[in-house]
Amino acid sequence: MPRIQGVDLPSNKPTHISLRYLQGIGPTLALQLCRQAKLDPQRKARELSDEELARLAVILDREYTIEGGLRRRINQDIHRLKDIQAYRGLRHRRGLPVRGQRTKTNARTRKGPRKTVASKKSVKELR
Amino acid sequence: MSRSLKKGPYVDARLAAKVEKNKLGGVREPIKTWARDCTIIPDFVSATFLVHNGKQFIKVYITEDMVGHKLGEFSPTRVFKGHSGGKAKAAAGAK
Repeated sequence: MPRIQGVDLPSNKPTHISLRYLQGIGPTLALQLCRQAKLDPQRKARELSDEELARLAVILDREYTIEGGLRRRINQDIHRLKDIQAYRGLRHRRGLPVRGQRTKTNARTRKGPRKTVASKKSVKELR
Repeated sequence: MSRSLKKGPYVDARLAAKVEKNKLGGVREPIKTWARDCTIIPDFVSATFLVHNGKQFIKVYITEDMVGHKLGEFSPTRVFKGHSGGKAKAAAGAK
């Protein structure tokens, strides 16, 4: 199995698909990379030679932020928003949607599982 | 959708003039403003504003990191103090 940027092991899928197993590489970038490294995107990843892999690694290293570096940058960006007390930072802190979505309903991705508060009616029934 | 680059950032002209004047005069007084939609430009760094939030003026000291944001982002317009009962009620309900 080929290995790029440490632990990542894309499988025996076409090159452009297996490249997408790296965080920060989507469909567009994967194809763009193949073009840059002069590889056939449809060839299976396991058929890549060491030399071709090295070529990919160099391009990734030089021109793109992926994996750990990308995660770090995203964290830094969020941290900066928190530090400067911007509205978006406050939303991040509270775990609420940041981009102005409604929170009366939905927003469960940010808020997590529902925390049901007993209604007046059901409290009476309990007694 | 983000603003067209052709236009450049929106900066309240009168506010920018005031910052400039304060800088030249060496005045270190906060500038009261309602211009929440004004983008913070590098010239504003280390100035202090009192940004209106609809009710009060919130003191905002501009640091380098804030450049490119708008003044209103630093003056929250809503107050959320938590739901009634909150923790106390939840504890009672558990009994």
